[in-house]
Amino acid sequence: MLIAQLAVNGILLGGVLGLSALGFNIIFGVMRVVNLAHGDFVVLSAMLCAFAFAQWNVNPLLLLPVTATIGFVLGAMVHRFLLRRLPREIASGEASSLTLTFGLSFFLAGGGLALFGGSYRSIPYLTGAYYLGSLSIPQARLLAFVAALVLATLLGVFLRVTAIGRAIRATSQNFEGALACGVDTARVQTIAFALGTAVATTAGTLMSFLYSLNPQMGVLFTISAFAVVVVGGLGSYAGALLGAIVLGLAQSFTSYFAGAALAEAAPYVLFIFVALLLPSGLLGRRAT
Amino acid sequence: MRRALLGVALAVLALAIVAPPYVNGYVLNLLYITVLYVGLAYGWNIISGYAGYFSFGQITFFGIGAYVTGLCVVDLHWYWMLAALAGGVFACLLSFPLGYVMLRLRGPFFAMGMFGLAQTSRVVIAAIPATGGGSGLSLPPGLDLSAIYYWTLAICIGAILLTLAIDRSAFGLRLQALREDEGVARTLGVDVTRAKISAFALSALIPGLLGGGYLAFLTYIEPDAAFSPRLDLQSVVMAILGGVGTVWGPLVGGVLMTQISEALWARFPQAYLMIFGGLLVALLILLPRGIVPALARRWRA
Repeated sequence: MLIAQLAVNGILLGGVLGLSALGFNIIFGVMRVVNLAHGDFVVLSAMLCAFAFAQWNVNPLLLLPVTATIGFVLGAMVHRFLLRRLPREIASGEASSLTLTFGLSFFLAGGGLALFGGSYRSIPYLTGAYYLGSLSIPQARLLAFVAALVLATLLGVFLRVTAIGRAIRATSQNFEGALACGVDTARVQTIAFALGTAVATTAGTLMSFLYSLNPQMGVLFTISAFAVVVVGGLGSYAGALLGAIVLGLAQSFTSYFAGAALAEAAPYVLFIFVALLLPSGLLGRRAT
Repeated sequence: MRRALLGVALAVLALAIVAPPYVNGYVLNLLYITVLYVGLAYGWNIISGYAGYFSFGQITFFGIGAYVTGLCVVDLHWYWMLAALAGGVFACLLSFPLGYVMLRLRGPFFAMGMFGLAQTSRVVIAAIPATGGGSGLSLPPGLDLSAIYYWTLAICIGAILLTLAIDRSAFGLRLQALREDEGVARTLGVDVTRAKISAFALSALIPGLLGGGYLAFLTYIEPDAAFSPRLDLQSVVMAILGGVGTVWGPLVGGVLMTQISEALWARFPQAYLMIFGGLLVALLILLPRGIVPALARRWRA
C-alpha cells in the first residue's frame, strides 16, 4: 500500500516535470543549446505567482497566460540579443552557448533574490485530497498533473499541425535540410527558444502550488529537465514524459526511504547514470 | 610581447612574495583571496581550457581537499599544512576513477555531470555524521594568516609553472588536439583517454591542495561553503576573462576579477550574483577570446 501511495505521488509529480522538460527539449532539439537557465525561468515564474497570491490572492491558474507571455517575450529577447550575438568562429563554439546560459542562470537567480528575497514561498491552494480506498490523491498534484498533460498535448498538436510548428520540427530533425527547403532557421530558432521558455514559465506556475521554493533553486529544475530529457532520449517527446515519470518516482521513493536531504541528489545521480549508461535514452535517437 | 608579459608576471609574483610583512590584515586577506582565485582558475584551465572539457564542478575536489584536511587535523591531530597536502593528494587519487567514468561524457553532459557530482558530494557529506554533517567541522583557531597565504601562493606559482610546462610540451599539444577534434586526435595515434584523465587529475590536484588552505583560512567548513557553485562560477569567469587555454589568462583574469568581485561583494551583497552572472554573459559577447589573446593580436597587428 505504501509502495502504491509513493508510486501515485511520483507519477503525479512526473507530469509537471515532464512539461518543464518539453520546453528544454524543444530548445535543445532546434539549436543544440543546453539552456542552463531553464530552471531559473521555472522558479522565477513560481515565485511571481506565489508573490501575486500572497499580495492580491490571485488564483495561480489565472496567471498561466500571463506567465506564458512573459516567458515567451523573455525567451525571444535572450535568443535575439544574447545567443545570436555569440561569435561563431571560435573553437569552443558549443562551450560558449553553454557558458552563456550558465551566466544567465546566475543572473536570473540573483535577480530573483533581489526581487523576492531568499525565503521560501509556496501557495496554499487546493490542500485537500481525494481518496481511493486507502490511497490518497492530493488535489493540487492531480490538478497540476492534468493541467500539464493538457498543455503538453496542446503543444504536441501545435508542433504537428501549424506551419511554424512543422518548421520547428523540421529544423530539429535536419538543420541543413530545413534551410535548403526555405525554412527561415534563424527565425525558427528565436521562436523555438521563446516557446521553450514559455513552457518553462508555464510549468513554473503549476509548480507554485506543489513545491515550497526560493529563487536559488532553479538549478534543481534545470538538472531535472536535463535528466528527464536524457532518460527519455534527446529529441523524443514521448520519451520525455516517460523520463519525467521515472524521475518523479525516483524522487518520491528516495525522499521516503532516504530522507528529503539525500533525495535532493536524486536528479543529479539519475542524470549522471543515465548519461553514462543509456546515451540514447529509453526511446530516443542517439545523441550526436 | 611574451617578454613584456613575463616581466610583468615576474614583478607581480615578486611583489606577492615580499608583501605580507608590510601590509595590514585587510590587504593580506585580499591578497589571499586573489591567489586563491587565480589558483582555482589555473586548475580549471587545464581540463577545460587546454583539453576543452568544460567543467562546472571542479569545486568537488576543492571541497574534498578541505574535508580530508579537516578530518586529518581534528581526528588525527596533524599539522594543517601536512593535512592539506594529504587532502590534495587524496583529491587527485580520487580523480582517476572519477575521471575515467565522467570523461566518457562530452560537452554539456560532462559540464552538467560535473556540476551534479559537486552537488551529490555536498549532499552526501552533509549526510555523513563523521564530517559533522550539515553543521560542519571546526579547526582550533589562531592559525597564522601569512602561513596560509604562502601555502596558497606556492600552489598558485606551481600551477603557473605547470601550465607553462604543459603549454610547451607534447602533452599540451595532445590536449589541444583532442580539444579541436577528439576523433581525429585518436586516429592520429593520441592516447585520448590517457591524455584527458591526466589533465583531469592535474585539474583536481590544484583545487584539492587549495581546499585545505581555505579551511585553515575560515577555520570552519560546512558543505555549502566547501562545494559552493559560486566559487566554481568565479573561477570559470576569471579564466574566460583572461583567456581560456592560455598560459597567462587565468593570472590576468583572476587578479582583475577578484578586485571587482570583492568590491561588488562588499557594496552590493544582494545584487552580487546578478551582476556577476550578467558580467559573464556580457564578456562572452563582447570579449569572447579574453584579454590576453586580444592583447596579443593587437600587439602583432
